[in-house]
Amino acid sequence: MAAVPLVTVETPGTVDPRRKTLGAAVAGMLQEAGFTAFEKAALGTLTEMLQSLLSEIGRSTRAYAELAYRTEPVSGDVVMALVDMGISMDGLQAFRSRPNRVVITAPAQTVDMKQHNVLQVGDKKSHPAHIPEHLPSFPDTHTYCFSHTYKQPVTEYEAIREKAAAQKRDIERALTKYSAKTSDTQNLFFTDDKEFLLVSVAPHPKSYLDALMPRDQVFEEEEERKTKKKRRIVNEEGEPIQEKDKLNESQEGELDNPYLRPVKMPRKVKTKK
Amino acid sequence: MKKDREVQKPYKLSHQILSLTGINFVRQTVIGYTELTLIPSKDSFRYIWLNCKQCCVYRVTLNDTLEVTFQYFDPFLEVCPQESKQRNLEFLNKSQTTGALSVDPEIGRGELVIIVPSEAQHMIQEGKPLRVGVEFSLEKPQSGLHFVVPSTEGTLGEKAAHCFTYGHENSARLWFPCIDTWSEVCTWRLEFTVDDFMTAVSCGDLQEVVYTQDMRRKTFHYHLTTPTCAPNIALAVGPFEIYVDPFMNEITHFCLPQLLPLMKATSKYLHEAFEFYEELLSTRYPYACYKQVYVDEAYSDLHSYATMSILDVNLLCSNRIIDQVYQTRKTMALCVAQQFFGCFLSRQAWSDAWLTTGIAHYLMSLYVKKHFGFNDYKDWIHHELQEIIEYEERFGGIVLDPSSSPNEPQNGPNVSSGSTHSGSKDTFYFSVKNPHACSPHYIGVYYKKAHLVFNKHLSLALIAVTNKGHPAGWSHMLVSTETFTKAIFTVTGKDITVFCDQWVRQGGHAKFNMKFLFNRKRNIVEMTIEQGYIGELGIRRYVGPLVVWIQELDGTFKHTLQIEHQVSKKEIVCHSKSRRNKKKKIPLCTGEEVDMDLSHLDADSPVLWLRLDPDMTMMRAVEVEQPDNQWQYQLRHERDVTAQTEAINALHRLARLGAVTSEMRNTLNAVLENEQCFYKIRCRSAHCLTQVANAMVANWNGPPAMMQIFRKMFGAFSCPNIIRQHDFTSLQNYYILKTLPVAMAGLRNTHKSCPQEVLGFLMDLFKYSDNSKNRYSDNYYRASLMDALAAAISPAPVQHDPSTITSDTLTENIRRVLTEVTRYLNLEKMLPCYKYTVTASCLHAIRVLQKNGHLPTKSDIFKAYAAYPQYIDVRVSAVEQLVDMLSKDGHREDMDYLLTLAETDPVPRIRYLTLYSLAKNPPFLMGQSHKLDNEHLVERLWNLMNSGQACDSLVRCAVMDLYYAMYGRRRPACIPASEPALVLNLRKPPHPPILPPPVIQIKEEDVVPVVKQEPPSEDPFDPKNEVKIETQSFQ
Repeated sequence: MAAVPLVTVETPGTVDPRRKTLGAAVAGMLQEAGFTAFEKAALGTLTEMLQSLLSEIGRSTRAYAELAYRTEPVSGDVVMALVDMGISMDGLQAFRSRPNRVVITAPAQTVDMKQHNVLQVGDKKSHPAHIPEHLPSFPDTHTYCFSHTYKQPVTEYEAIREKAAAQKRDIERALTKYSAKTSDTQNLFFTDDKEFLLVSVAPHPKSYLDALMPRDQVFEEEEERKTKKKRRIVNEEGEPIQEKDKLNESQEGELDNPYLRPVKMPRKVKTKK
Repeated sequence: MKKDREVQKPYKLSHQILSLTGINFVRQTVIGYTELTLIPSKDSFRYIWLNCKQCCVYRVTLNDTLEVTFQYFDPFLEVCPQESKQRNLEFLNKSQTTGALSVDPEIGRGELVIIVPSEAQHMIQEGKPLRVGVEFSLEKPQSGLHFVVPSTEGTLGEKAAHCFTYGHENSARLWFPCIDTWSEVCTWRLEFTVDDFMTAVSCGDLQEVVYTQDMRRKTFHYHLTTPTCAPNIALAVGPFEIYVDPFMNEITHFCLPQLLPLMKATSKYLHEAFEFYEELLSTRYPYACYKQVYVDEAYSDLHSYATMSILDVNLLCSNRIIDQVYQTRKTMALCVAQQFFGCFLSRQAWSDAWLTTGIAHYLMSLYVKKHFGFNDYKDWIHHELQEIIEYEERFGGIVLDPSSSPNEPQNGPNVSSGSTHSGSKDTFYFSVKNPHACSPHYIGVYYKKAHLVFNKHLSLALIAVTNKGHPAGWSHMLVSTETFTKAIFTVTGKDITVFCDQWVRQGGHAKFNMKFLFNRKRNIVEMTIEQGYIGELGIRRYVGPLVVWIQELDGTFKHTLQIEHQVSKKEIVCHSKSRRNKKKKIPLCTGEEVDMDLSHLDADSPVLWLRLDPDMTMMRAVEVEQPDNQWQYQLRHERDVTAQTEAINALHRLARLGAVTSEMRNTLNAVLENEQCFYKIRCRSAHCLTQVANAMVANWNGPPAMMQIFRKMFGAFSCPNIIRQHDFTSLQNYYILKTLPVAMAGLRNTHKSCPQEVLGFLMDLFKYSDNSKNRYSDNYYRASLMDALAAAISPAPVQHDPSTITSDTLTENIRRVLTEVTRYLNLEKMLPCYKYTVTASCLHAIRVLQKNGHLPTKSDIFKAYAAYPQYIDVRVSAVEQLVDMLSKDGHREDMDYLLTLAETDPVPRIRYLTLYSLAKNPPFLMGQSHKLDNEHLVERLWNLMNSGQACDSLVRCAVMDLYYAMYGRRRPACIPASEPALVLNLRKPPHPPILPPPVIQIKEEDVVPVVKQEPPSEDPFDPKNEVKIETQSFQ
């Protein structure tokens, strides 16, 4: 049992807002009458009763209005309808202006549910000339002829570059931020600054290795191999043999090089100078 | 004078053995033995002088049997005597010159004096060899031999510990006793015992490698049969990787571990240089082998020695690098050229150095011309000429061969580089700083006959080698100015003595100022050529022919004028009538015919432009006065890069004066866009355009200059505001791509700040730069982008107090700039690029931000980068930023930090470069008062050059350069005037001048056979001889 809410207990699903308001009105009146709680079914019944009363008043009001050849009812029509139904109007004025009446909140504006478009795939074909325009248009092309099942990716150059640049920048930013937070830093300012921190430089005893063999970019090594292969294919007649010779030669030359010769064993009698 | 010298020497060196056994990397010591075989040319002499520095000599023997006494004195341990309070350079230079002369091997002197006792006199007999053996050791050498032992974990091999010899000119004496001059050539036997994982690379042919008895070390035996002088002997020891050149088996390359792939990529062009020179000189390479060793912490890019070169490891580069390749190939070409001239053909004396270095550079430039193109070559020559002119006008004329002008003091090589500033009238600066001082004009004249001449020399030398065994024949292997002129006369039949007198034996250059008027009535050009600056520093009068080229409507006309007076008025008849109406192509000097838009030309004059001495046949500075439209025609249509460069320089001058027109802008734009034009000219015109645009900023409309060109050339097709993905296969475009952002960043709007549009453009370049599809590395491009950012920074509108500057006080633009700088700099820590080019540029950008008041001036950032184990290029850049800081708001700690670097840095090159950049950009100039200018500084510098750098004369002379830049030749103002006694001292220097040749004195003594020994301490030159004597070590 819930405490009397001004607004009726939400029923799940879609509730008719008109009914919701009516329910609120009934609940308000009940509260005025001194009730502190109600059963859901009782409220429902009372609401039902109120609704049928109101709709009956409305229906006969319209009938009176139409009887008098009007399309819009006037207050006289309402009075006639009430009289017709045998409802006395004596207390009505007093009821309307009673003190501490419960104000019912205006029903919330319902948001227009967006109409989902029917999935449109491809362009619809227009009618051929001999078919008049008012006839229904063709269905989507994929329903009766071949079409791709995937959407074309964005091919606009500018957008791609933009995206790639943004991605690269984000990665770099994250990386530098990370390293600025995890390692020692240098400050550009005299005051403490968090925004422009410089990662302090670490001593590197063999600094030439990093400097001469950079890791900032990765290049494929294949190109040259490819060109070599090509060359070999081009000079197929006789030439490859020559190349072999040259290879042999260079190997021989290497063997001949005094620096690559095997080291001699020490002489028995050490000759100085 | 030279002949006298030869006669003076009572002995001649014929063979030397050098054996180093204990090379210890941990303690950095070397133990060695050397034996010199001397052939006496007299029957008796009493002293043998050897050059030897910082060595500890244990024993000297004659013919292995007789141990003899010796004395040791090094004048550079303290250049000026202790008690002196003088602090002026004149005094120091005088002492230094005397000191250098007293040990000058060219006149047979040295630091180590061996006294031949009377009981040994019987060993001396003319023609009979005398062997002098010296046992010595070196301990932690300050200079001459450099040990590189990185402070990492691991064994010496893993650390890649290595050592190598180096030196400034003739400095072999720093690592072994020898006769340290170029003229004393002999054959060599060299033995080096090293750990078994090391390789010892040295001069000559490797005979064999033998293990020592304990099998833990091995000995390398080298034999050098070609007579070679001691300065051309070198050694490198390390765990090198060995690579035999696949094209020429006689070449072997050595590098440190892990660098082999780079070395393979770098060395693939080396054989071309060999082939080129052999073909050019039509002789074979004179030695049987050639070795290249790449070492870390090298003293300079290259040092050439007989059959080997020691190169900087930083010359190595992979196939992905563009900019470094040019430098590397030039250096290697020079190495090979120096094998021919410099190593094989050595010079007679220091004063003949211009010949060997000149020829070697000339050969190298021919190689450059062949491989990099004529434009590159000519531009280079032009650039060198400009440098020389600039130098001469600042410091005085360079004399190439000072030996034959007797009134000028003959300086030893060790003092020459610094003494230039300090000699009184006769300042000369030899080509130490600018080693190709002689090459440009040299090339101009000997252009065609040079190779013939050199060829002749080489063949002479080869003959000389064949009859070895008789050392007298070896004199052919030494080139001196005299023999050179003779040889040229015999080969070509031309006498070049006049030429030599004019350009070699005299310093300075000619300077012409040319004005002209076109006289329409007579159809002549009235020309005034004035030499108005005669008497100013470095400039001298020229009498002789001068070539003038006039480009007229009908073609180029060449005139040779005789210049006789200071002001020469000449009249030159024009060939073309001015007929503007006929549309006709205009022939150029190259024979091409081009269409020109002649509407901007003076309607009456047929003269398009004029050039003076266009082929740079002499050392000259030329000022041509032409109206701006003529300069523009010259820039646009002349095919010669030097003419175009000169035109751009002229436009620069005009822009500086504010005389700019929109035609000028159009011309520069046209050149920039012209793909036929040499890329360097295009880059220069971009920079010129910056200046022109800034001068006409008030009425500039449209997009900023060069923006459209950039978008056209490098923008993507569909969206020109985004830069295309990088593709550096077109080198021209690559260089322009690098230049344009920097040039554009120099643009300023009416508020003297960089236009917002340009800044946005730069930021977009940072954002969109994409190198993923490129075959080449973009590290130099990124560095130049960073330079562009630095160029875009203008002074802060509000100058805050440095301590209150925070990241919140920065303006929006500066924040963006700083974001990029920090991002790039931080990224380099994780992903370093080739040679840390980006880091170096970032440091510069930070300094620019500081200088303009956007950031507080803090030196600790730069100090961290300048500290020892960082990469050398980064260190140099950091040092430059620190130096830049000094003049404006430098503290004494910063200055002290830099001087400490100069004094004690482990890398000798950094010591020199620190001083060099200080001297280039001194914290204060003479006469300016500055808070750094105090007695402390003077004393520190003085001690550094007086006694701090006994061994490294390059560093000592660099200190002198710095001292000169700050204090000139006089006593620094902050030092109290010296006492009267010392003033007296100045007039009467403690060392008497050089005049009486010392050896002659000894000779006289020799004539009288005196048995009693006379200590050489009475020698007038060595007043301090008694200081350190005898068998114990002196460092």
